[in-house]
Amino acid sequence: MADVAPFWNPKTETLPRDQLEALQLAKLRRLVDWAAARSPFYQRSFAQAGFAPEQLRSLDDLRRLPMLTREEWMASQAERPPFGTLPVAGREAAIRFHTTSGTTGREPIRVLDSAKDWAWQSEMWCYGLWGFGVRPDDTAYVAFGYGSFIGFWGLHYAMEKIGALNVPGGAQTTENRVKQILDFGATVVASTPTYAIRLAQEAGRLGVDLAASPVQRLILSGEPAGSIPQTKALIERLWGSVAGDTAGMTEIGTIMIFECSRQPGGTHIIEDHFIEEVVDPTGDAPVGYGEQGERVVTSFGRGIIPLLRYRTADLVCKVPAARCDCGRGFDLYEGGILGRVDDMKLVRGTNVYPRAVEAIVREYPVVEEFQLRLTRGDDLLDRIALRVELPPDAADATWAELREQLAKDLAAAHEGLRFEVERAATGELPRFELKARRTVDLRDKPAGA
Amino acid sequence: MATDLLGQTTTATEDELLDLYRRCTALLARDDLDPCVHAGVRVATVGLATVVNDLGLDYEHLIDLGA
Repeated sequence: MADVAPFWNPKTETLPRDQLEALQLAKLRRLVDWAAARSPFYQRSFAQAGFAPEQLRSLDDLRRLPMLTREEWMASQAERPPFGTLPVAGREAAIRFHTTSGTTGREPIRVLDSAKDWAWQSEMWCYGLWGFGVRPDDTAYVAFGYGSFIGFWGLHYAMEKIGALNVPGGAQTTENRVKQILDFGATVVASTPTYAIRLAQEAGRLGVDLAASPVQRLILSGEPAGSIPQTKALIERLWGSVAGDTAGMTEIGTIMIFECSRQPGGTHIIEDHFIEEVVDPTGDAPVGYGEQGERVVTSFGRGIIPLLRYRTADLVCKVPAARCDCGRGFDLYEGGILGRVDDMKLVRGTNVYPRAVEAIVREYPVVEEFQLRLTRGDDLLDRIALRVELPPDAADATWAELREQLAKDLAAAHEGLRFEVERAATGELPRFELKARRTVDLRDKPAGA
Repeated sequence: MATDLLGQTTTATEDELLDLYRRCTALLARDDLDPCVHAGVRVATVGLATVVNDLGLDYEHLIDLGA
């Protein structure tokens, strides 16, 4: 095996852009034909849009296809439970049944995968893992609960496919996971960014120096924080390892972007298997390189659920492949996933982005956990509080200094908006193994909620 | 001479992969395979389908073959 190659798939990862786009068009034609012939949802939406597959002559014609929203997907599930009208076949054709994480409290999207689809999903993880330097002689520890949320399932099988020694770290306490990482001699650990910090905090409590452990690489996924420079720097410092960001979604079943070993400050798009458009979040006009917009994904992976022009609500900023010197022809998302279209909070006329708050908080490693809490008083004025949890033995003087500095930094980054910085009791704030939800907006809730 | 999805002439290795893939899909389509044979052929077919897709040699879904 040519395992000295820096690329998992040198043939397509290094294609020049014109050939990459020709490959995308060839696959897109087949996918559109497939959807038009088999999926009741697309048969109806194509007819409503006046679109016929033969109109697809160039990649620009992709914009003739209607976009798909999560709301339409959910409506389709309600119309024909449990899977909706997008799938081209039912559960008899599938070997896997997964759902979205449910962290938003909404009805989950239910997805099916055929044997071929499932193999493809781990293949996408292989692009990312190999690209970040994972090799057959690695021992991987997957700190994941292995439930119905698709999460790191694809990574698990990708590790096996690469030939790494794979340790499934499901159904464990955080303390046991730390011990297992050491006992098994893990060289790679996969988790969410939040959980990577939590593992490191637990290691500290146990007197374990992770920086002295064999762990060399962390594979992060599930939250945008893997590309927040301050959070990534904190994780890398705590573990004494490099941390690579990836991002995916249940709707496609796997990752679509990954950070390569050059760590260029962005994540490569796996463009031989996806078409990623970036559009104005308030409409559907495309935005150019270097401009922030909403991700719209077309996936060549799942056969059982064709996915054409799905509006993801992820905010991204696409930059050309040349931004990275790794040799891939794949464009990048600078800073990974920047947040969600609906993430932004308006507080007394000032925009507050959770990602920006996290970037400030992570400058202070003494912070163990935090939560942003928005309330509205009887005077109808909005109040924003940052609740911060410190180690139990943190001195009062440390807290006083931190409170003053955080309040100053947050106000400076938010046009003078006053953040009330409060100390939470030890263990008071929620901990997260999957997607962290640290912003609590209670402004439309009754007082005292 | 075979070509890939970009219209480029395939290499000898790619020709071999395509041939294996097509033989596997033909085998998988048969209805006289014992369960252990069918399951193994399906795994092989899925693996090769991933490879020919990666290399831009072919791109198709295998729902009708139960994969």
